[in-house]
Amino acid sequence: MSKAASQPRRLVGHGMIRVDADGKVRGQTRYLNDIRYRNVWHGVVVRSPVARGRFKALTLDPAFDWSRVVVATAEDIPGENVVHMHDRTMPLLGEVGGELLYRGEPVAVVAAKTLKLATEAAGHIRVEVEELPPLLTLQETVDIFKKTPKRFVSMQDKNIVKGDLAKGFAEADEILEAEYWAGHQEQLYIENQGIVVFPQKDGSILAEGSLQCPYFPVNELNDPLQLPPEKIRVRQTPVGGAFGGKEEYPTMLVGYAALPALKSGRPVKITYERHEDILFTPKRHPVWVRYKTGFKKDGTLTAIECDYILDGGAYLTISDVVMFRGILHCALAYRCDNVVIRGRVARTNSMPSGAFRGFGAPQAIWGIESHMDAIAARLGMTPHALRRKLHARAGDTTPTGQVLSKENGATECLNLALERSQFAQKLRQSSRGKLRKGQSKYYGAGLSFFAHGAAFTGDGEAKFQAKGRVELARLEDGRPGVNIRVSSTEMGQGVHTIFTQIAADAFSLDPARIRYPMADTGLVPDSGPTVASRTTMVVGNIVHRASLDLKAQMEAFASLHFFRGEKARLENSQFHAEGRKPLPFGRVAGKMLDELGEASGFFQFKLPADIRWDQDRFRGDSYPGYSWAAHIAEVEIDPITCELEVTRVTAVIDVGRIINPILAAGQVEGGLTQALGYAVMEKMATGKDGLYDASRLQTYIIPTALDTPAYDIQFVEYPYSFAPPGGKGLGELPMDGLAPAIANAVEAAIGKRLRTIPITPESIFDALHDPSGATP
Amino acid sequence: MSTIQRTWKLNGKKVSVRGPAGRRLLDYLREDLDLIGAKEGCGEGECGACTVLIDNEPVASCIVPIGQLADGTEILTIEGVEKKRAGRLLQRAFLECGAVQCGFCIPGMIISAYALLMRNPRPTPRAIRAALAGNLCRCTGYAKIIQAVTLASSRLPVPTKRK
Repeated sequence: MSKAASQPRRLVGHGMIRVDADGKVRGQTRYLNDIRYRNVWHGVVVRSPVARGRFKALTLDPAFDWSRVVVATAEDIPGENVVHMHDRTMPLLGEVGGELLYRGEPVAVVAAKTLKLATEAAGHIRVEVEELPPLLTLQETVDIFKKTPKRFVSMQDKNIVKGDLAKGFAEADEILEAEYWAGHQEQLYIENQGIVVFPQKDGSILAEGSLQCPYFPVNELNDPLQLPPEKIRVRQTPVGGAFGGKEEYPTMLVGYAALPALKSGRPVKITYERHEDILFTPKRHPVWVRYKTGFKKDGTLTAIECDYILDGGAYLTISDVVMFRGILHCALAYRCDNVVIRGRVARTNSMPSGAFRGFGAPQAIWGIESHMDAIAARLGMTPHALRRKLHARAGDTTPTGQVLSKENGATECLNLALERSQFAQKLRQSSRGKLRKGQSKYYGAGLSFFAHGAAFTGDGEAKFQAKGRVELARLEDGRPGVNIRVSSTEMGQGVHTIFTQIAADAFSLDPARIRYPMADTGLVPDSGPTVASRTTMVVGNIVHRASLDLKAQMEAFASLHFFRGEKARLENSQFHAEGRKPLPFGRVAGKMLDELGEASGFFQFKLPADIRWDQDRFRGDSYPGYSWAAHIAEVEIDPITCELEVTRVTAVIDVGRIINPILAAGQVEGGLTQALGYAVMEKMATGKDGLYDASRLQTYIIPTALDTPAYDIQFVEYPYSFAPPGGKGLGELPMDGLAPAIANAVEAAIGKRLRTIPITPESIFDALHDPSGATP
Repeated sequence: MSTIQRTWKLNGKKVSVRGPAGRRLLDYLREDLDLIGAKEGCGEGECGACTVLIDNEPVASCIVPIGQLADGTEILTIEGVEKKRAGRLLQRAFLECGAVQCGFCIPGMIISAYALLMRNPRPTPRAIRAALAGNLCRCTGYAKIIQAVTLASSRLPVPTKRK
């Protein structure tokens, strides 16, 4: 046999075509609203009409015929009226006698045979409330924080302390302080939220719908529904985009639908239309971040003091962890011995903020990367010279005391991005508020540099110990193959494809014999939620190891049953043994299934033993691994209309081993485009009526094909060696750093620094025409 | 509301339609015919997920009342586009280029791209961007979609000029 022929075929590293794409391009994939359910009732949520008030009564219009509908209120909750996300404060439904804390807080669910009837009935329910003065915006809470800090209500506090801040400021030649703001951002998955709940004869429920984390409802609704985890079964339908928006919120929808379903014994489906989806599902947290930094004339950073306040909305839900991830990214990428970062989650009377790609990190990186340019300007250094000097690299210590490993592409990302974009030259060409010869628009180039921690924060993965399985099964053609059984959900990011590649390589098996059924908590072990840029790194490793486990069992079986004890190995879909004719995979797998009934490989993820984390002191190894990136944005600004166009983005990225370069590039292009929207288009705030002031696609504007720039994307690979195949986090990182690169480019273009995103033509106009406009 | 009775040509076949004049075309396609390729994303003609071709023009079917469509109207949905050569080339190119992520916008996107290629078989990247500007995609950032339309266009036979 020639050497070439004996080389097992490798899929990892190749752009295999997506396993789920055929149905999608043909319009055949059935998302939740495409599935024809029979006898399913439709649920409608009844909501608080005020941002804050005492809930006096809920009355049903006596003139309406209620016999055809079912109404569920807090009184119908079988158990304790509390959903346990990260604390136990949020009720499933507002209760008469209690206080309603945000406009739109659910107080009842109506279900009927048709959506029309349910909607009509909901209109005949009166929610009586005695209004109380609300606190609506982050701006108001930050005013309180500054003027009367004792009155500031924080739902969660956490501080990071490194070194001696006073000493750091004493050593500084200069001190620079500045504040940065960012507003809400809507995930805007194109498929709206939706869930259907089927009550079962044994009192349990089966829920299916568009969600990221099937085990969340299983573990979060036990108290209100009085059902143990094994009596809440959840499965995924094809997800039309999520981006964090279908992380924690679907738990609420399962709860809302379950109440009328359990009360009536009928399946109940709740789907939102766009307006309701934008108004009443969680957004990215607005942020206020203040940096006070001390530095020497040569650029050495001697002190970083940072306050980072998120608008959590009315309940904590998962905001504590968003804030944790945020503060861990506030000063992560730079060398500094003296650091204090204080994280807070403000309570406001608005819809609880929630998960959105990046999870606190984009807000932090928005602040620090704007501020680094401001420091460079103060010093008269270029932004890239300052970052080249200060950027963290292998062996450096993070603010929590973690020593960065060698699996670290920081320096290469920065240097390569500068080189590919010819940044130094482009910076010299930047207008700085004066049109240069040949320029009809202001031109500017801006840089950002950052890291993103992959997987759960701190000891999350160590405690969680995610599990997964692969199993032999007869596929739909009757022949044997392999099923991947993990709880990671496909939502467009490509996990079904890359895990097929990983399993195919581990087995050395034709990927056509591998299936990855939709996650179903009745069938899959808990490999954790599909969040936190953890899937490729953690669950990819589980699939790899579980496949190797099953492969070893199969090789032992083949040796015993087919090769008379001769050692067998599976390669290129055949079992080989010395001096024997190879046997096809299906022959051995089929006999194994016939004789054993079932066979599976299993793996449980454990972090290396030397990982340390102190959650109380917030010290130690905050993430198992870090991805790195440098972005360069180029902008043009019309001097009359102040319209801004981002013309080119260069992104050099280390996310470890690339499993599928086409899918990886697609993740980056998509994430950068969301970040572009965050930076210059997507404007949303809580209005005086307690509702978001942009709640339709006519008013909430996301990038179209005409708004996206040319992308130059380059990967450099520093794999995470502990967990083959070695991916680090990819999903969130492209959302993290483009906004500050654009703001820095705007500063280079017009000579003024804008400290609030989104940067709009209006805000550019104001900056250009405000004589007091402070800069840097 | 008045009831209408019409005969259209849908995906190449004659269909008789009866119903309230104000009923949305999208609902008729999805509910009565189970043509689920057209999706509802916003219900107000902004996102393009429900795009179908009406007499060769891409239109948001969520804002088209069936009463507005005269007898003889030709409608093409994703289920019909794939029977056309350019439709198949687009589908293939979307697969090869990695232009699909969650997939929810893709049928509408392919319909708009198909309409473009029918009137301009060799569009520039700028023309492709303009033709797809009514179809929102939140996953891909459009780069690979534009690449896919370009690839499909390059595989279409060179158009011969009509005499």
